[in-house]
Amino acid sequence: MPDDPYEVLGLTKAALADDIKKAYRKLVRTSHPDLHPDDAGAEARFKAISAAYEILKDPETRARYDAGEIDGLGAERPQRKYYRDFAGTADNTYQQGRGFGAHADPGDIFAEILRSRARSSGGAFGDRGFSAQGPDVRYTLEVPFLDAARGAETRITLPDGQGLAVKIPQGTEDGQTLRLRGKGAPGFGGGPAGDALVTVLVRPHPVFRRDGDDILLTLPITIDEAVLGGKVTAPTIDGPVGLTIPPWTSSGRVLRLRGRGVARVGRKMKGDQRVELKIVAPPDVDPDLREFLAEWRKTHAFDPRADLMKGAGT
Amino acid sequence: MTERYSEDDVVATVTRLTRRQLVTYVEGDLVRPERDAGAWVFRRADLARLELLCDLSQDLELDETGLDIVISLIDQLHAARQKLATLAGAIGALPAELQARIMSEMKKP
Repeated sequence: MPDDPYEVLGLTKAALADDIKKAYRKLVRTSHPDLHPDDAGAEARFKAISAAYEILKDPETRARYDAGEIDGLGAERPQRKYYRDFAGTADNTYQQGRGFGAHADPGDIFAEILRSRARSSGGAFGDRGFSAQGPDVRYTLEVPFLDAARGAETRITLPDGQGLAVKIPQGTEDGQTLRLRGKGAPGFGGGPAGDALVTVLVRPHPVFRRDGDDILLTLPITIDEAVLGGKVTAPTIDGPVGLTIPPWTSSGRVLRLRGRGVARVGRKMKGDQRVELKIVAPPDVDPDLREFLAEWRKTHAFDPRADLMKGAGT
Repeated sequence: MTERYSEDDVVATVTRLTRRQLVTYVEGDLVRPERDAGAWVFRRADLARLELLCDLSQDLELDETGLDIVISLIDQLHAARQKLATLAGAIGALPAELQARIMSEMKKP
């Protein structure tokens, strides 16, 4: 094996960084074992190319090589496994639903090849037993807020009148796309059907809003609840729960209901519900309250806006 | 061959791969780990596939679309190779006289 990295990449010592990159890329195209699974020599070639590039891509190691400080082989790279070594193994999931399943009986496969040949004979590809996966088909689905947050099952009616069952996973977000395997357009020549890609649009809720896995809610409270505190009932996406308002609370204060937000597939923690309090005056004018506050103002006046612009710069 | 790797193991083993990139690959369905109690579980084949994805995206500078096309073609190539191997195996198990007939049939223009 030539151990001059310039020679391996087909370059001279005068090569520019850009030339090195170009030469490497070209050789990867022709020698990467995963791009040439039937080429037995690819692995050895690619190894030499990678080792050479490893030295030359970095101006510093390149300078050290040029100065004779390190030799051409550099440090031996750890043994690498290529994807092609796994592609044919029985538990390879990347072929599921494409072509024949991993656990198909070889006899069935032979029969299927003969069948698809017979079926498509006369067609342009018939003589070669051509088959291919059908194309994916895209749909858009509008989902109510709570169905997306809690998960639901629904149906899409396809243009041809057929229904397609769609499972909305818990915690689905606006704009997320769901892939339904094998629900796309039919395959060619006995090939499997494509997938259906369903983009979910979440309809806004009049009360709840969402921030990631948290649910946001604005909860009206009375003046006396704000001053004295108390227990109130707050709606959550899973039904009403009790919420304690601490005494002497201002409007805009946010209380957190832990674990009352959105659960999501693949996450252990549920989100929270964040409740923003909003003090609401009684609907009818209350002479007692007005009289009391008129008196109160005389002796207890304070200005909550005194420091508002402090530290805000200009 | 049945070793299992967690998300952390993968990011540590495939050094070129960032966690963000890994999430993109899984969400883009380029790599399909198993799930165990909400966590991703990768196999050695997934690791080799991620190395390949890094080669394609970093060394060959394929963008997301290009990567999607190339990996799908590679998957189809492997599916086709497997069918061919199965077919060859099936033919190999046939009596010699039948094999000869198949060979001559294949040589016909």
